[in-house]
Amino acid sequence: MTATTDREIVVSRVIDAPRELVFEAFTDVRHLSQWWGPDGFTTTTRSFEFRPGGEWLFVMHGPDGTTYPEWIRWTEIVRPERIAMRHGEVPDDPNAFESVLTFEADGAATRVEMRAIFPTREARDEAVEKYHAVEGGRQTLGHLATYVTDVLVREGEG
Amino acid sequence: MARAATTSDVFNAIAEPQRRDILTLLRDGERPVTELARELGLGQPSASKHLRVLREVGLVRDRKVGRQRLYGLDARGLRPVHEWTGGFERFWSESFDRLDAYLQELKQTQEDDR
Repeated sequence: MTATTDREIVVSRVIDAPRELVFEAFTDVRHLSQWWGPDGFTTTTRSFEFRPGGEWLFVMHGPDGTTYPEWIRWTEIVRPERIAMRHGEVPDDPNAFESVLTFEADGAATRVEMRAIFPTREARDEAVEKYHAVEGGRQTLGHLATYVTDVLVREGEG
Repeated sequence: MARAATTSDVFNAIAEPQRRDILTLLRDGERPVTELARELGLGQPSASKHLRVLREVGLVRDRKVGRQRLYGLDARGLRPVHEWTGGFERFWSESFDRLDAYLQELKQTQEDDR
């Protein structure tokens, strides 16, 4: 077990598109604004610069009208395999957390993995509250699917 | 926010690998501390200490059967963990759904342009 496993969450998906194209969808706000966020969410971008050290400053709008400030700083970009970033609410957010996206060719498809690593309990709590708030916004429209995950228990089995 | 004690915070409680091992063993059913200690290669006092922490955060409950005390899973305590991971997972799961749909459209457009 690595030192960060206890503080990680991993979500992965196989997408039926070539790796270059999937990677491309993460590099341009024209693409990102089409799919970023859960069902019913939209984004308004204030600034966007896709390069190591560059930032994406934007606002996420929930289906009930709630807005969430967002800030991302790209820390590493390896085309078309890997993107590392810090993700918070305001520039240089002390509660920002690390996320690493990896893109792996799987035949004609691509496996994308999102791995979030929380540095401290406080940062994690911040994320908990935020994602709960996002979920709350969705619940008001009745979009919440019954979906219970079991990450830690599954990990225990592995 | 003040840091929560290990004994009151389920996330801190399960950050300890041996405590997660105990939870994994208990998924198969109730066990006495002696068995748990033996399976994990722990001393009984150390296994008891872990069980006490797990009980205090509501992950494990115990009951007396004859002269033995049996420990079992109390899954209600895992709920905050499920909710927490569920929120983040759901966010990305749905984003990936949308990404997939978007890329299928994009691929179609590219083919049409040819």
